[in-house]
Amino acid sequence: MINLIRLEFLKLRKKTRSWLGPIIVFLLIMIAYPLTVEFLQEKLEIGFFSVLWIAILISMMLATEDIFTEDFNDGFLELMVIQNSSFSLGVSIKVFAYWFLIGVPVSFLGFIFSYGTTGNFSLSISIFPLALISSYIFLNLFALGNSLSLNKGSVLGAIVTMPLALPVLIVLGKSLTALQLDINFLSFILLLLGSLSIIIVIIPLIVSYIIKAHLE
Amino acid sequence: MIKKFIHQFASPKTFISKVDTYYNFIFYSALLIYVLSIIWGILFTPEDFVQGNSFRIIYLHVPASFLSQSLYLAMGICSITFLIWRVKLAAYLIVAIAPIGAMATFIALISGSIWGIPTWGTWWQWDARITSTLILFIMYLGLISLHSSFSNYEKADKLLSWLVIVGAINIPIIKKSVDWWSTLHQSASITLTDKPTIDPVMLYPLIGTVIGFFGLIICLVLLSSKNQILIREKNKSWVKDYV
Repeated sequence: MINLIRLEFLKLRKKTRSWLGPIIVFLLIMIAYPLTVEFLQEKLEIGFFSVLWIAILISMMLATEDIFTEDFNDGFLELMVIQNSSFSLGVSIKVFAYWFLIGVPVSFLGFIFSYGTTGNFSLSISIFPLALISSYIFLNLFALGNSLSLNKGSVLGAIVTMPLALPVLIVLGKSLTALQLDINFLSFILLLLGSLSIIIVIIPLIVSYIIKAHLE
Repeated sequence: MIKKFIHQFASPKTFISKVDTYYNFIFYSALLIYVLSIIWGILFTPEDFVQGNSFRIIYLHVPASFLSQSLYLAMGICSITFLIWRVKLAAYLIVAIAPIGAMATFIALISGSIWGIPTWGTWWQWDARITSTLILFIMYLGLISLHSSFSNYEKADKLLSWLVIVGAINIPIIKKSVDWWSTLHQSASITLTDKPTIDPVMLYPLIGTVIGFFGLIICLVLLSSKNQILIREKNKSWVKDYV
């Protein structure tokens, strides 16, 4: 298992475009946002968090663009199935590696942008766990999309899984309102954590079945 | 025993012969019930005290909304049946239901919008129920596009089934959205546990339209699934004999 973790991290680290690309796209969206509104602090703060969640969503979508494609084409996935090792565990590790190298930096950048825009440290520090959890959920969902649309282009995968990601955006919006009004924010974090704990078990399992269906 | 029953009933040949036998009966009864209920609802029920005559759109909106979610649930059941018991007919049904489900959801959204103008003063609101129904509509479109992008039907059926199962999470969200969020959309007037909050004069034709609409949609699903079977089993000798 340790070897598998090492391997996934090594593979992703070597594919610079795969992990750096989504982070750069996130940065560009966050930098572009102030340019589209007047440089008045109040106006910036109104739509900032909506842009932040959407930027996280898009960067996670781009991150999973070819999460399984290369392994599928070079036969690595087939090898894993033949070796009869826990395939779903392999998928979990892969998604975790992507989250660690892309989701965590993006969440940290989200915190920095949040602090830079609102100047409110306690609000921004609360945004950080929200971004961490939501990015992990998005990565799992889009990994599912990518597995469904292997070799059919990333757009199809995004189309079929984007509707599943929208409820998460609704919860993020609600949790931010709760945070600003100082009511029940923790329950939203727990709700997201609960969803994540189900997703990280179920999605890799389903992805493994889907990939096996591709390989049959 | 269940397996034996499913396999016996789910043979495409048996299914088509059953459809041919019962189709006319289901269609004409559903049409009669729907037309009579619509006439009853539009001409013989009194005006609503608050909404006036605009409330009469419930005789289209409610059946369509009910069906949009029920059809997805039916697809979910078919997906599980297909993945566990490998029943081909279940896969054909999923493919047949998806466009009809999209159509029912579209009717629910459009009729809701038309109803929204006189009652809410707006044709669209980003409210939890409406947004989650829109997500369901997009889900249906995603399912259709996923299946059509594979030329290998067997693979497409499996992938579609998995996506249907994952997407079923949206159904309880839609159902409970009016309770979980404070929404502009009213909460359910008819539930299994409580007494209906709608007056019986309006309720009975509504039940009639739901049953009639349900029957008509079932007919559409039967025709569409028959079409799927004939396309997918075109090389079988019984299909050649049948056609």
